[in-house]
Amino acid sequence: MSVLGVLVRQLLRFGLYAGMQVLIVGQLPPLFGLGWCFFYLGFVLFLPLSTPISLQLLLGFGMGLAMDISYDTGGLHAAAAVLLAYLRPWVLRLLTPRDGYDAQDTVNVHQMGWQWFLVYLLLLVSLHHVVYFFLELGSFQHPLRTLGRVGVSILFTSTALLIVQLLFFPVRRSRS
Amino acid sequence: MRNLIAFLLRFQGVMLFVLLEVVSLFLFVTNSSYQRAAFFNSANTYAGTLLARRTQVTDYFRLDELNKQLLADNAQLRQQLYPPDFTRRQADSLPVGRDTLGHIIYRHLRPDPSQALAVGAAGLSAKPGKTSVPARPDTLLLGGAKLATHDAEYPLVPARVLNNSLRAVDNYLTLNVGTADGVQPGLGVLSAGGVVGQVKSASEHYATVFSLLHSKMAVAAKIKRDGTFGSVKWPGEDYSHALLDYIPRQNRLAVGDSVVTSGYNAIFPEGVFVGTVESFVKEPDKNFWTVHLRLGVDFSRLTYVYVVHNRPRTERDSLETALTAPEPAPVKPAKQPTRPRR
Repeated sequence: MSVLGVLVRQLLRFGLYAGMQVLIVGQLPPLFGLGWCFFYLGFVLFLPLSTPISLQLLLGFGMGLAMDISYDTGGLHAAAAVLLAYLRPWVLRLLTPRDGYDAQDTVNVHQMGWQWFLVYLLLLVSLHHVVYFFLELGSFQHPLRTLGRVGVSILFTSTALLIVQLLFFPVRRSRS
Repeated sequence: MRNLIAFLLRFQGVMLFVLLEVVSLFLFVTNSSYQRAAFFNSANTYAGTLLARRTQVTDYFRLDELNKQLLADNAQLRQQLYPPDFTRRQADSLPVGRDTLGHIIYRHLRPDPSQALAVGAAGLSAKPGKTSVPARPDTLLLGGAKLATHDAEYPLVPARVLNNSLRAVDNYLTLNVGTADGVQPGLGVLSAGGVVGQVKSASEHYATVFSLLHSKMAVAAKIKRDGTFGSVKWPGEDYSHALLDYIPRQNRLAVGDSVVTSGYNAIFPEGVFVGTVESFVKEPDKNFWTVHLRLGVDFSRLTYVYVVHNRPRTERDSLETALTAPEPAPVKPAKQPTRPRR
């Protein structure tokens, strides 16, 4: 794929994830009155494996800032999303298959297997949510309620992203 | 030099990470202050337009609910037009307690009739000397306080809520009015149910509002029955409840007491409904009651609000800054000598 093609494709993904978040998913009532769906994280989580680290960070920052502008949180989403983008290569390295990643590997539940995918998703989403909710509170005052919000949000976000994977990601490897 | 470039390339990830984190945390920490351009929040033109479109679409799915809300507001206003016979009859005093001899202490609610007339006349007509009161004052009943609807200098701006968060620690609203409609940062926002918040920043057509459900928002309030002053804060759990702080322990409280704005912080006019007292606890380590309020506004279904200008605000602010300023600028003796003294 050409550079322009990749660029257009990623811009489209950015618009789709951000639009879905602001227009539809963010309007859903909170799960059990506690949890919220961070649907836009899919944009960072499902980037190609070979994306350079600085580009990942910038994209995460851009997505977070877009959410901050929509939800008036200043830089909260951006801070957590940048951290997520920074941790992603570490988690990927941690989960490297026995013979390393292939060139055409992507973050895809069909190709990488359920076990790999669930560990990847839950680990990164949990880290992000813990940082997000405690940063939002600015203290450790109400640990139980905040942990409850973290837990339910992890469930909500992971389920939504898993559904996206099952619906929209190709089962077969693309020949590129 | 080559080593430096190699070093930068090698640690580009870490350095960019630290840089971006510092930028985002700076934006986050300074978010609650007013001195921010309207770009980094939802009053921004693009975000505002997007949110307005979203509201247009979602409104179709809740037209029924919106109509019911407007109907309820209308009913309240009509009730004001056709008052029952005994609305004008108010108790002129209320028993508030007993003194040491067991006599009941009465608190007089209304001042002398002559004084009340003078105050009322001054309040209703801006010009002194004009004593005739208009037959039907052009006012609007908002959260229990009457506010003028038509005032060229201080307009009451109706607005539609485009975005409203409930679940965060600091919640904000986005309104579809901006500086073009006369909205300025710092103005109060009310709805028919009571106090909603305060304008944070405004672009040309959109405004961002600190909701009452914000950890740094405090509303100067008082208990309507006996006039005890307190401060309403949101503890951050439930969008239908708030706390009333600084009510001294020796005060008597009653479940169901109305709490209204006191007008002390010059954001809201005096007497706008905030909520009712739901429960109160005396905690051993505190000098004040812990009072739980049920808020008058249902934040989960907030649709139409009004941005309000508190009339004497500009005057009061300038007076208070003049009083608190360490070295006041020399005041010009402009009109003092020309006014005849009596």
